Amino acid sequence: MASELMTMPYYKINVLTGTKAAKVVSEPVEAARIIDKATNPLYVFGAEVIDSLVGDRLLIDFTLEIAKSRNIPICATAHVKKKMMELGVLPDSIYDIIEIVHFLKDKNWMGVRGKGFHDLVLFTGVRCDLAERGLSTLKHFAPHLKTFAICRRSHPNADFAVPVITKTEKWRVYLEGVISELGTVKA
Amino acid sequence: MSKGKIREEEIRRIIRADDEWEPVGPTPMPSLTDLRNWDFRLLDTYEPFYAPFCDLCCLCTFGKCDLTEDKKGACGIDIATQQARWILICSLMGTAAHGAHGRHMIDHLIEKYGEDFKIDLGSQVNVEAPIIRTVTGLKPKNLGDLRKAIEYVEREMIHLVSATHMGQEGNYRDFESKAFHAGTLDHVALEAADIAQIVGYGLPTSIADTPLVDLGWGAIDVKKPTIVVVGHNAITAYAIVDYLRQHDLYDKVEVAGLCCTAHDVTRYDSSAKIIGPLSRQRFFLKAGLADVVVTDEQCVITDIPQMASEAGAAMVACSDKISYGLEEVSAKPVDDILREMLENQKQFLILDSEKAAEVIVRAALALAPLRQERKKLMTKEEASLLSAKCRGTCETCNRACPNLLPVNLAINQARQGDFTKLGSVFLRCIGCAKCEEACVNNIPIQKVMQAAAASDTYKIRAGRGPIHDVEIRKVGSPIVLGTIPGVILFAGCSNFPGDIDDVAWLAEELARRKYIVNLSGCAAMAAAMRKDEDGKTIYEKYIPEFDAGCIVNVGSCISNAHVVGAAIKIANIFATLPNRANFELMADYIINRVGACGVVWGPYSQKALCIGTGAVRWGIPIVLGPHGSKYRRLFMSKKEASDWRVMDGRTKQRVDTQEPTPEHMMLVTETKERALVTIIKQCFRRNDTPPGRAIKLNSYISAYKQVMGSLPDDLQNFIRTEKEIPIVYKREVIAYLKEVGWKPKISLSLPTLIGTYETKVPIEATVK
Repeated sequence: MASELMTMPYYKINVLTGTKAAKVVSEPVEAARIIDKATNPLYVFGAEVIDSLVGDRLLIDFTLEIAKSRNIPICATAHVKKKMMELGVLPDSIYDIIEIVHFLKDKNWMGVRGKGFHDLVLFTGVRCDLAERGLSTLKHFAPHLKTFAICRRSHPNADFAVPVITKTEKWRVYLEGVISELGTVKA
Repeated sequence: MSKGKIREEEIRRIIRADDEWEPVGPTPMPSLTDLRNWDFRLLDTYEPFYAPFCDLCCLCTFGKCDLTEDKKGACGIDIATQQARWILICSLMGTAAHGAHGRHMIDHLIEKYGEDFKIDLGSQVNVEAPIIRTVTGLKPKNLGDLRKAIEYVEREMIHLVSATHMGQEGNYRDFESKAFHAGTLDHVALEAADIAQIVGYGLPTSIADTPLVDLGWGAIDVKKPTIVVVGHNAITAYAIVDYLRQHDLYDKVEVAGLCCTAHDVTRYDSSAKIIGPLSRQRFFLKAGLADVVVTDEQCVITDIPQMASEAGAAMVACSDKISYGLEEVSAKPVDDILREMLENQKQFLILDSEKAAEVIVRAALALAPLRQERKKLMTKEEASLLSAKCRGTCETCNRACPNLLPVNLAINQARQGDFTKLGSVFLRCIGCAKCEEACVNNIPIQKVMQAAAASDTYKIRAGRGPIHDVEIRKVGSPIVLGTIPGVILFAGCSNFPGDIDDVAWLAEELARRKYIVNLSGCAAMAAAMRKDEDGKTIYEKYIPEFDAGCIVNVGSCISNAHVVGAAIKIANIFATLPNRANFELMADYIINRVGACGVVWGPYSQKALCIGTGAVRWGIPIVLGPHGSKYRRLFMSKKEASDWRVMDGRTKQRVDTQEPTPEHMMLVTETKERALVTIIKQCFRRNDTPPGRAIKLNSYISAYKQVMGSLPDDLQNFIRTEKEIPIVYKREVIAYLKEVGWKPKISLSLPTLIGTYETKVPIEATVK
């Protein structure tokens, strides 16, 4: 359920124009519960996952763990595929961010593994301003799915958003918390 | 409402329908709905994709209305239609900016030379105005004819603006059709404006090898009196050059420009300098290197009077579009104006360009000796002191940055004397100064950047204007067959997501793969800001011809018309299809046969939006940088899942090509790497011959491997026969095609959309 309260994202620009705001998911266990509940989730990786460090590890190391732990298909956007292949992982689909959002709008699209529409779409590492626009599209035109922005800068146009976490160490703890809680809580 | 017989007769009179250069086609001077069926045909394949920037409508006093999800406004409008309405409104802003520019330029030149002043674009350009010919049916012979083209634009715009009123248009597809119309009008205005200034001021035409011009603030000799012209309507800038020449002062005064006026003034006189694009306006003007700042119109930062005042520079506004509340003094004697400027630091609006020129030059000569101490960039020591209060922890600057830059780290390091980070931030800075406004310690961040900014000088080729007919004859066949893999135009603004020189990287990657690369406006400037190991820019390294593997600077924003015009000329000159009042025939040819793609990597302006929207209607796909998502609307197919049926012009049968070409008509990409492969893909056309498609696929595969590390995942969509597989990749591609169950597809020699929708254009017209 969406919260009545507007979440204030890290980037204050370009976003504060809406009436329906994300539910802020402050606790990793809560995030894990949302992911666990999904029957056909999708994880969209943006370009920042291969550039952004969380402590001494790349962000993609964490997102891959999340995806693997629940066998969530991955859509690699931008030029993420190259890095994934270097890490020995083949993404399930290769669309750019706007393309995958375009497909997600369509309830009749069969999804990246042909199982029908995705009921939950996770986003990490998409450039924040671009992510916000894509989330806005899905908010308005994809009522059949929920979006979860796993981004430490927060995204009001998502259905679920991580709060702003400025400290890298806290961000690492959050991500590790999600990974450790996944599959441990009942839907 | 149909046009009516009186209007039809009027149009025939305006376009001199009885002139027999070509028969008049079906849509002379099209009105709002004349090309609607074509538009809807495009929209059937390329659905509008909306990314609402705001969930509300605040346009009338019924509201604010919340349009979230499936809610409707008090007037009944929904969120999709509201986005489309905004697109039309913004497109109209852009069209108006270019149209008013053209109107001003043409009226000014008619005052000077009379309406019979002949259009002559030199020995290499016979099809002088392909857009005006195609859209209106008029073959312009003189300035008076260009005015007729602008009058047509003005007439249509009143209807388009009307449609945006509350309670008018109520369907997003019709709003998009109207936005397309605004884009078409914009292109007419662009072409009229640039032709007018080319003939009126003798700007380069019928020449490819234009002079190399200095770019960058390092190129300016600030010891000289320095005049900086800002904007994009160079009438006053030309008058300044004339005044300097007439008074033998040209080597004693620096004339430099920001934004497109800089392009145009260097087309007029190659010893003028280009400082840089819009993103450098605020930085440069705050640096105080200009003795006199001159504003004309379009893309001019609105607090320039304040910045000039703070820098102790004189300032003159020269356009009725940007008057800044200043006193208009064209009727006053020059000596009186100068006295007030120099003694009381007054700023003025002067609409008489020749009088403005005299005032500006004399003010610069008087002020320069008094301002030498102020014309110095900040030292690192001064910058560190100014940054002293930053601890790098509050991050308010970061949170205000539209380009998501780590300003806090850069300023905090600068405080400690390390300017490395600030230098890299500066390369990505779009110059909005929102960080300064947000800073709780009031650190003048833009000024501090002076200590980190490199003051290199770069070389850019002066804008060359029209593509030559002889060049079209040479490249027409290889473009249509596909053996020249594509024609690319980098246009638009400097709202770049990454480094300012990423455009140069993209342009060079394409040029070395033998694409014809064209640039204009701020993109053309940014592309100059990268040197190779020998210190050369792309303009020094590549031949400036409209040919494979060459790089062309066409000029300012209004010169974009010449690249669209080149696509039309391929249909008209190479394929000998009649273009007179024949929009659909030309657009159908382009979308099926001319592998052209526009790129706006740093989009911000409404002008860029309407140029891009107009290009889509011509059948030219557009690739935008990430900031383009804030335009709110894209045009995308569902790739292989969409309907790709066309008519075979030879058999007149409908055929399912099963190949998504061009795949999208307007989309955003997130990174330059992704942009590279996307641009290459957007140049595939249904008409490509097997050898031509093989060349395009070779580019696609090589670029994809370079940036994505594998064969393209959608390769099967674009290989129609095994003959098209590039030899160098044959073994692995065949293995891949087997793996994905590829089957051969039909390859047509005369694909056309004509006949797939209701149109006055007979399918026979597609065969020459």
